[in-house]
Amino acid sequence: MPAIDDVRLSGAALLRAKGGTLSLRNGLLLFGVISLLGNAIGAAMRYPEIGSAVLFPPYAALTAALVVSSRRHWVWFILVGDLTHFVAHWPQFSVSWILFADVANICRALTAAVLLRWLFRDALKLDGIVDLLRFVASAVVIAPAVGATIGAANVVLHGGSDSYLPPWGAWFTSNALTGLTMLPAFLLTVVNGPPWRGHWTRSRVIEVVVLGAVLAATCTGALMLRGDSRWQLALILYAPLPVLIWTALRFECVGASYALTAVAFTAIWAADRRIGPFLTAPPDEYVLDLQLFVGLTSLTVLCIAAVSSARNAAFHLHRALMASVHDHVAILDARGVVVEVNEAWRRFAETPNIAPSQRVVEGDDYIAACRAAVDDDDRIGQQGLIGVLSVLNGDRKRYEIEYDDSWTGTPHRYSFSIEALESPDGGAIAQRRDVTARRREQLEMEEQRRELSHLARVSALGQLSGALAHELNQPLASIGSNAEAARILLKRRPLDNGEIDNILRDILSENQRAAEVIRRLRALLRRGETRLQPLNATELISEVLELAHAELITRRVTATSVIAPNLPPVLGDRVQLQQVLLNLILNACEAMRSTRPSDRRLVLLVNAGAPGQIQVSIRDCGTGISPELIERLFEPFVTTKPEGLGLGLSISRTIVAAHGGRVWAENNADGGATLHFVLSAAVPEATAGELSFMLGSASAPSSAAAR
Amino acid sequence: MTPDSAGPTLRLSIAIVDDEELVRISLRRLCRALGLAASVYASGKELIEALDARDARPDCLLLDAHMPDMTGLEVQQQLVGRGVRFPTIVYSADDAPEALDRYAGAGAVAYLRKPMTGDQLMATIERAVTASRATQQAR
Repeated sequence: MPAIDDVRLSGAALLRAKGGTLSLRNGLLLFGVISLLGNAIGAAMRYPEIGSAVLFPPYAALTAALVVSSRRHWVWFILVGDLTHFVAHWPQFSVSWILFADVANICRALTAAVLLRWLFRDALKLDGIVDLLRFVASAVVIAPAVGATIGAANVVLHGGSDSYLPPWGAWFTSNALTGLTMLPAFLLTVVNGPPWRGHWTRSRVIEVVVLGAVLAATCTGALMLRGDSRWQLALILYAPLPVLIWTALRFECVGASYALTAVAFTAIWAADRRIGPFLTAPPDEYVLDLQLFVGLTSLTVLCIAAVSSARNAAFHLHRALMASVHDHVAILDARGVVVEVNEAWRRFAETPNIAPSQRVVEGDDYIAACRAAVDDDDRIGQQGLIGVLSVLNGDRKRYEIEYDDSWTGTPHRYSFSIEALESPDGGAIAQRRDVTARRREQLEMEEQRRELSHLARVSALGQLSGALAHELNQPLASIGSNAEAARILLKRRPLDNGEIDNILRDILSENQRAAEVIRRLRALLRRGETRLQPLNATELISEVLELAHAELITRRVTATSVIAPNLPPVLGDRVQLQQVLLNLILNACEAMRSTRPSDRRLVLLVNAGAPGQIQVSIRDCGTGISPELIERLFEPFVTTKPEGLGLGLSISRTIVAAHGGRVWAENNADGGATLHFVLSAAVPEATAGELSFMLGSASAPSSAAAR
Repeated sequence: MTPDSAGPTLRLSIAIVDDEELVRISLRRLCRALGLAASVYASGKELIEALDARDARPDCLLLDAHMPDMTGLEVQQQLVGRGVRFPTIVYSADDAPEALDRYAGAGAVAYLRKPMTGDQLMATIERAVTASRATQQAR
């Protein structure tokens, strides 16, 4: 039967079980044996005084089987459960009684299984009070109540009781106690696999043996004695607690549940044999006594086990976390003593030739080690001292540096941070990370960005080459004509010294102008490191306009600059900002290609934007930017020009962003577009007086109206 | 008429239009050193105003091609429209061969590429003036 073979018993999609797999056949066989045994024990533990068993193991067995098995196999387990129930109870009970009781058993186990699977979707575990509350609510309260409601009806119908409530109470109590004692052991065993399958150290085996022996001794010693006085009774009833709590702390809920089951069975067995402490009560009360003892002890011990289990889980998680972090981590207490380090920190601390302050491990005083560094010329330790003191004193939450470490001979770059711990006791966490590779990548990226922006500059100047040739030819032509005129004048008598002097002065000044063009060109063509310096916006713009002057004439564009007075300097790289300006100006010219020549006006506006900022706006009268393009304008490879690569604006954005500014575009209400960018002012903004705008052409340096 | 009669002794009058002041001045100096009378104008508009006011009666015009507002080409077209008779020599730093065709089409008689030597300038002016006079006499 293929449906039965090799089905994961524990493989229900809803529950992650670590217990491995069992074929359905083996699973059913195992369940059948346990269920038969459980039914026999249950039947043997029936107390005529209450008309029910004190504990009913089949409840635990069927619930555990349903929780871990696939839903489509439930029917098999239910059938086997019924069969074993029948075998154990027939012919003592009538067939109709047994079948009715079956219905109660099935409903109870189904309720528990469905609730448990729903509440513990990821994995069934009893780590913490919340888990325990979920378990108790579903398997100790609701499911037994469902079973009792049907079971009590059965008792009444078959004449076992005149009233409904007493059998209800007996059914409920018996199953609730089963849920508290043996069900956790059954569930956790089928979910996690039998405890003996795990990894056992020798000390753990010894501990289990000793624990078992002490438990057995306590149970037989205490629960089979009869206490004649109150103190003897108290001693007997409390005697199992220490060993139970020991079990709960060391073996969590599964161990506690096994121990509780043992205690419960011993108590019941002793009572059955008419020995032990419960027989001191009157005959109709001792069962209640026994049940209260088992129930309250179980609840207490399970609580302790759940809390301990949560604590253990947190501890294991903490250890795993520390071990899995590749950074070197050390935890310091409020005095700066190292409380804990992770494996990475320890390994690093053992590296030969590292700075002395980096050799600290658990128990060492980090502050003292860093203080010693002051004498050792250990710069890393000195930095660490500043960091640890400022964080532990509460001056700051986090201290972070990057440093180059060449102590070991091979230079490495580390990022080191000390952060205050959010804990009532204070303390700090120190983290060290090797960022050599990241740093190298960063430098390479910067280099590539520089290369790209240099290429873009060269390409922009390439566009200007005709205009630039003109720009150089102009002074050369003037120099040539002047020199020829001088040669002719020199042959004349009398010599006109004044005119010759004028000519030479003009030659010098034109020579200066040609040199200036070349100087500007060279500055833009050079690939240099980024150099931030305070720059005057007016100078910056007039230099770019000089460079673009001939191009503007060729394109018949009239450029005007309007620069607010008293602007603070901007902090930036001259060449890169000129590149941005040149790029935006050339783009604006391109946008006005189809505009009537007399309307090709370009306006550069510079004013104080937000406080501490300078805003530059380049306004054209071109075709504007289409709405679908305006958002993506600064993305790479977005272009409107047929021959454009679409890199100019994207590089401009990168440059402006690297200056801590931003660039954006908008269409003008009266046609054309304006591109804006903001830059940070180099110094805190001067008192913002009234900003009277001054037309650029009216002031000499910012005059940019194309000549 | 012999070719000699068109020599510099006649003291030809040259009008120079260039937007760059220093270029303008250097050309005026060169023309004067070459024995020509020279007057300078910063734009085509200035020249046309001077012509209208009859302040200028040049024998030849030296015209910069590369100017804002009104390019050399536009100045030339305007002058042709007004029926001026003096020849125009256009000069520019522009290397493009089609530039000459453009100006020739607009009525310029010669094209000079900057920077030019005094000899080039003189020879071009003489050739232009001679050709222009020959044309006018032929009419």
